[in-house]
Amino acid sequence: MLKLLCRGMTHLAIVRPRTVIAAMVISTLTIVATAALPSLWPERFSALHGIEVDTDPENMLSEQEPVRLFHHEAKERFNLSDMIVVGVTNPSHTQGAFNAATLKRVYQLTEFAKQLQWEIDGQREGVLSIDLLAPSTVDNIEQGGLGSVNFSWLMSAPPADDRAAAQVLERAQKIPFLNGTLVSEDGEALALYLPISKKELAYRIRNELLEFTHGWEHSGDNVYITGLPVAEDTFGVEMFIQMAISAPLAMLVIFLLLWLFFKKLILVASPMIVAMVASLATMGLLIATGNTIHIMSSMIPIFIMPIAVLDAVHILSEFFDRYGRHRDKRKTITEVIETLFAPMLFTTLTTMAGFASLYLTPIPPVQVFGLYIAIGVFLAWLWTMLFIPAYIMLIDERRLEGYGHHEGERPSLLGRALAATGHITTRRPWTVIAATTLAVVIAVIGIGRITVNDNPTRWFEESHPIRVADRVLNDHFGGTYMGYLELAAPAGPATLDTAAMQARLTERQRAATGAGNASAPYQRIQALLGAASGDPSDELQAVIGSGLDAAVNDADYYAWDDLQGWLDTEQQRSQLFKQPAMLNWLDQLQTALLANPSVGKVNSLPDVVKTVHRELRLGATEQYRIPATANAVGQTLITYQNSHRPHDLWHFVTPDYRHTVLWIQLTSGDNQDMEQVIATAEQFIASNPPPQAAEHHWFGLTYINVVWQGKMVAGMLEAFLGSFLVVLVMMVFLFRSLLWGLLAMIPLAVTVGLIYGVIGLIGKDYDMPVAVLSALSLGLAVDYAIHFLARAREAVAAAGSWRAATDEVFGEPARAISRNAIILGAGFTPLLAAPLVPYQTVGIFIASIILIAAIATLFILPALITYLQRWLFK
Amino acid sequence: MAKSKGISCALASLLATVTLSFPAFASAPQELSVEQIVHRANYTSYYQGKSGRAQVSMTITDSQQRVRQRELTILRLDASDSDNPDDGSYQSDQKFYIYFKRPADVNKMVFLVWKHLASDDDRWLYLPDMDLVKRIAASDQRTSFVGSDYFYEDVSGRSLAADHHELTSSDGDYYVLNNTPLAAEEVEFGRYEIYVHKKTFIPVQTTYFDKQGEPYRVATVLAVSDIEGYPTVTSAKMQDLRSGSTTVMTYSSVDYNVELDDELFTERYLRRPPRAQLR
Repeated sequence: MLKLLCRGMTHLAIVRPRTVIAAMVISTLTIVATAALPSLWPERFSALHGIEVDTDPENMLSEQEPVRLFHHEAKERFNLSDMIVVGVTNPSHTQGAFNAATLKRVYQLTEFAKQLQWEIDGQREGVLSIDLLAPSTVDNIEQGGLGSVNFSWLMSAPPADDRAAAQVLERAQKIPFLNGTLVSEDGEALALYLPISKKELAYRIRNELLEFTHGWEHSGDNVYITGLPVAEDTFGVEMFIQMAISAPLAMLVIFLLLWLFFKKLILVASPMIVAMVASLATMGLLIATGNTIHIMSSMIPIFIMPIAVLDAVHILSEFFDRYGRHRDKRKTITEVIETLFAPMLFTTLTTMAGFASLYLTPIPPVQVFGLYIAIGVFLAWLWTMLFIPAYIMLIDERRLEGYGHHEGERPSLLGRALAATGHITTRRPWTVIAATTLAVVIAVIGIGRITVNDNPTRWFEESHPIRVADRVLNDHFGGTYMGYLELAAPAGPATLDTAAMQARLTERQRAATGAGNASAPYQRIQALLGAASGDPSDELQAVIGSGLDAAVNDADYYAWDDLQGWLDTEQQRSQLFKQPAMLNWLDQLQTALLANPSVGKVNSLPDVVKTVHRELRLGATEQYRIPATANAVGQTLITYQNSHRPHDLWHFVTPDYRHTVLWIQLTSGDNQDMEQVIATAEQFIASNPPPQAAEHHWFGLTYINVVWQGKMVAGMLEAFLGSFLVVLVMMVFLFRSLLWGLLAMIPLAVTVGLIYGVIGLIGKDYDMPVAVLSALSLGLAVDYAIHFLARAREAVAAAGSWRAATDEVFGEPARAISRNAIILGAGFTPLLAAPLVPYQTVGIFIASIILIAAIATLFILPALITYLQRWLFK
Repeated sequence: MAKSKGISCALASLLATVTLSFPAFASAPQELSVEQIVHRANYTSYYQGKSGRAQVSMTITDSQQRVRQRELTILRLDASDSDNPDDGSYQSDQKFYIYFKRPADVNKMVFLVWKHLASDDDRWLYLPDMDLVKRIAASDQRTSFVGSDYFYEDVSGRSLAADHHELTSSDGDYYVLNNTPLAAEEVEFGRYEIYVHKKTFIPVQTTYFDKQGEPYRVATVLAVSDIEGYPTVTSAKMQDLRSGSTTVMTYSSVDYNVELDDELFTERYLRRPPRAQLR
């Protein structure tokens, strides 16, 4: 079967090279056009899918994911938006940012930021000016003269002099929800918070702000812009620049190395063409099928390229070594393909299996990534097998003159080194085995130390302005990362305790009838309450309402009026977060959270109540507390709402007072730190249950990142183990032997172990790109082992014994493997120059995987074969 | 201004029925000065009768259609005895006593205002459950009235002298006035535009524009009735276009020229609400 397929394909390529090439060009161009036309002219090709960029890490979770649905639901419930944080410092002034000149510029910046909106799809999108937090948009609550409480803008106009500027700081520092958020506790920096309606506008808004503040540094002001939406959106933009620079640069380096090894430019061009065709067609298919270009999918070309080149290099390498012998391209190519067909088909299948396994992870962008790389790998194989022979057939034989490795030629440095390797590994296998064992032990220790962690801000290099801003602002303020903890009354209607209601009604009746109210209305309501099943509120309200309307005399009217007050009070009991006991408990929870080192600050409903209460009580420090009754809490809050920003309250509690949220400001966006904050809260709640039943739920981007990371780690491990087994089965099938199959898996196991061991030892966080690399190593490491073992078996069959075959195996096959490793390993070094950390990570680890896999194959396999030859070659 | 025109048309029929009963206004001279229009609108909105009383039901609906309700009683007493909108004698100091009934947590809360023509207003807030009378500093009246979309200034009236008034159109049923603040730095708006109904002088729609010229706040009259010979707004709404929140105030049991003792409007009565007048 395999032979038939091999002959058929080779025959087609050799006999009809032009047809094969035309088919490749036309099919690729068609796919590319299907994707490119709607991208360039979306109106004219509206039926097709154009390019669509998605840089939102939230999409790491499926849209139906409960956590994500809840995040949106809760954000809407509290009218919360994603925020851009703009920090201003002035280290050259003794008053820091709080000097008249800086505050004047900040005032102007605020006015400028207020109108950063654009018409997008008929909607006004951009900065939500109503919720913008800046010195000139927030209220100051303080004592006025004559025992009055004063709500006035914190900074209604730019301050006249430095003394007035210092007062802005002084006032803001007295208000807990501004201190550490709007002004830094050290009094040096101030921050503006720009809520935005669409995360996708963050980069655009950042640029507008940068342009507006251009030149401020001459006055000593430093302006820092950060916040998760900025980091994410900016990453998306820079990712594209990287895609356009890194991938072609890697191609160029690979091309130069190929040229160095194989001399003939015309031959060397062919792997490049295959890599290009496979990458273009895959990306075209991805776009045309309506998938988005995500952080993950943007890396697809970078993954496909080495794999595509790898196949072609095997052919070129063999062709190079054999052409000198035959001096006949047709004969040489037929022979080369016949030798390589089975191993190449299997390496392709194993690589595809490795990537396709990612489809099992519960993360949509990773699924798409795995699936399309598998498709790309298949295309690379198809065109390697068809296009490369066809291409060689079309080359004028005269141009190949002098090409190839010549018999009796002085062996190259590489050749000599490989011969020595063959000698050492077969004569002293124990050295190799001992070294491998040591490496494995170190790897195991390293793997034990792996820390799972990610943080989108850290996708930028240390020196990137966003990283700098992140560092400076988190140093001065309570933190630019927001985690939200919602507390809510249990779902469903509040349960009424009718017996207790009756008791309270009796109490009320006694007081009121003593004051002259009629008693009949009370008795009527008592009777209704006694007979009630279920929630009697609506019925009671109807009776009281008509009682009020029909009251003929004062005694009746005031009785019904009093009953209305009683019913209102009863209903208010369901307003969980107006109850002092609950607010005091929230306050304790907040204190517990603040003990966590990553928590810089917590903003909450208790803070609002306590601050307003203090100012109502003449600003006395000991009055910074929750008042004793629910009504007093309600009156405190209604006083708070007499301000310029009454809607601010609804960012902390819902109007029915059954849901509240703690804004937890974290100084770090690391998933690990967020996880610890969650643990702190869970611990507190478990050992200090709330006085009334309440549920708690987390949301916010920092939390979402933790959730998808958890899914990714588990998903990746499962996918990797699954595909490892699949590949093992394939190997057993390929070699028709369990022992050979297991042997083929060893370089892979060692490579993966070492890579992750090193990651653990150097303390590199296990993040998204690192997780995905396991699939790549599966594809590449087995590749070398298959080639090596397949050729070793053939050589032993020809030479009679493993010892006699060693020279042969460490000739052509070993050269092909080493050339491959050197070309690809070096080919990925340009990624190290990328300013985005995930690209650097991928670059350095692909190179390491390739080199380690090659070394593992060339050292461990021959040593083991030497030991096991008795069972391997029966 | 397609939007405001639409609202005005809807109101036109309503106003037509009301104006039938106002022959005096119906035959008002066609050529009025800007000052006269402004004064008549001010009179209609805040000064009709020597005193007044109304039960107010306030419904605040946020952008998510969540509703909060408040019930309050407003008592008003003018210093001037004059009821003449044209010679300016109607304008005088006023006192407002605003008593909250519902919801439960604001029950018995009182807001007292002494509005002065010549100086800043005096304002007090009584919080019964803390037994606390607080003066509210007069510095800024353009803050929310108990969390609604109305400002304190909307409840007691903005001084006519604070703005420059300009008649931009007198076509059809409405006078259109454009008003720009004299002290622009003290207010959040750039200008506001009022549609004043020509016959009743009810300002049926007021639109506030921010300093960039974008409309962001709209007050609209929803219902008008003839009460004791006075054209009276019985339902009105205020929309905050930025937050998407709307407040509707519905007035019932409206009564003019009621007997109100001046002593009622003092701090002493904050703790002892006058039940008879509030019923």
